[in-house]
Amino acid sequence: MEDKLIRLTVNGRDEAVIIQPLATLQDVLRDTLELTAVKSGCGQGGCGSCSVLVDGELRLSCLTLAERAEGAEVTTLEGLNATNAIVPLQQAFVENYAAQCGYCTAGMVMAAKALLDRNPAPSRDEIVEGLSGNLCRCTGFAPIVRAVQQAAQALSDTGEEAS
Amino acid sequence: MPELLRPGSIDEAADLIARHGAAAAVLAGGTSLMRETYPSDGGYLIGVDRLGLDKVVSRDDGWSIGAAVPLSVLREAVPIPALQAATREIGGPAVQNMATVGGNLFARAPFGDLAPALLALGARLVFATADGETTQSIEDFYAGWTDGAPPRTGLLTRIELDALAGAAAYMKCARRRYSTPSVVTVAACVQKDGGTVSDARIALSGAHAHPLRCPAAEQAVIGSSLDDAAITAAAQAAEAAVAPQTDAVATDWYRRRMTGVFVGRVLAVLA
Repeated sequence: MEDKLIRLTVNGRDEAVIIQPLATLQDVLRDTLELTAVKSGCGQGGCGSCSVLVDGELRLSCLTLAERAEGAEVTTLEGLNATNAIVPLQQAFVENYAAQCGYCTAGMVMAAKALLDRNPAPSRDEIVEGLSGNLCRCTGFAPIVRAVQQAAQALSDTGEEAS
Repeated sequence: MPELLRPGSIDEAADLIARHGAAAAVLAGGTSLMRETYPSDGGYLIGVDRLGLDKVVSRDDGWSIGAAVPLSVLREAVPIPALQAATREIGGPAVQNMATVGGNLFARAPFGDLAPALLALGARLVFATADGETTQSIEDFYAGWTDGAPPRTGLLTRIELDALAGAAAYMKCARRRYSTPSVVTVAACVQKDGGTVSDARIALSGAHAHPLRCPAAEQAVIGSSLDDAAITAAAQAAEAAVAPQTDAVATDWYRRRMTGVFVGRVLAVLA
């Protein structure tokens, strides 16, 4: 088995990367492209800390073979804003103390973005379901849910996008 | 480390599966299999992402569901609430965007929450083999499992599902609300003639080595009005039909008890 060259778009930039056999999308994002907001938690699809958007859809980068992401458009937390400005969704996490250790936060924000992109005015139950694949083990889920509620409210007030 | 093969046609995939036998594993969404990839020291992963199996086709009287259709797509395409509920019980949204209908039907206990719904709805499974296409009822497919592992029938290409006849319900008993393995998962589909049950399909997963249809529980309610006595008899029959495992999620004793409780609750919804 040989290394392969794959091309994909990450945070709006065209990238060509050489991957080892069975490398995951997480390997490419974290190790090759140094996008370290993509966390390496359980490696089994159980924690959601590696969540990214692939062609606009929430995916787990740890369970995605890099080879199968050829040609895809990938968005990580770093790609929410071109100049690294804090987007309204992140600001809502700050204001609601929704990050304690912060390890789950990037994945939570990506799951929340995927939810709000699809459903800009979710109910509390829909927010809980939308975040159900992401584990937090220190902050507690209540402030995180409140942050997403605030972000959704801000969206409906301003008509802006989540990020 | 296994080698990833990505055939471009169903025939090619079926040939690869036949040729490599037990050394080959079919890689669909990867949400179960990728966890097992790293310790493995050989063999082949046969990807099904280039086979065009990711579409749902509506028929006049039902649906033809590609085996590589993601769970989130199934939920939008097939508006049967009991089936939609099942798709919500598997992982979180990211897993539901990746995990496929076909892949979930091969999940080992206590995973595999889609199977009870498709058993209750009477789905048929279509396999491509090196010798051509073969169709099996989903209960025959699970009857062929040994030691909690599926038979090597070929490549599952699609799931044929007829329009809902009667009423169906689905419930999962688990340790928390979302993204968690099953203690027991139960689905039932009941047809009534007047107030009397004329046909019933009751199925479960999680509390047995493989997903299971429960004919004894069905016989307990057919001919009844789904009164309390019939529901209690069905629950007892289901408890007697399962051989649950003990694992980190639950003991065999608890799984058996919850089998009765949840068969009862599902049938009560349909009463």
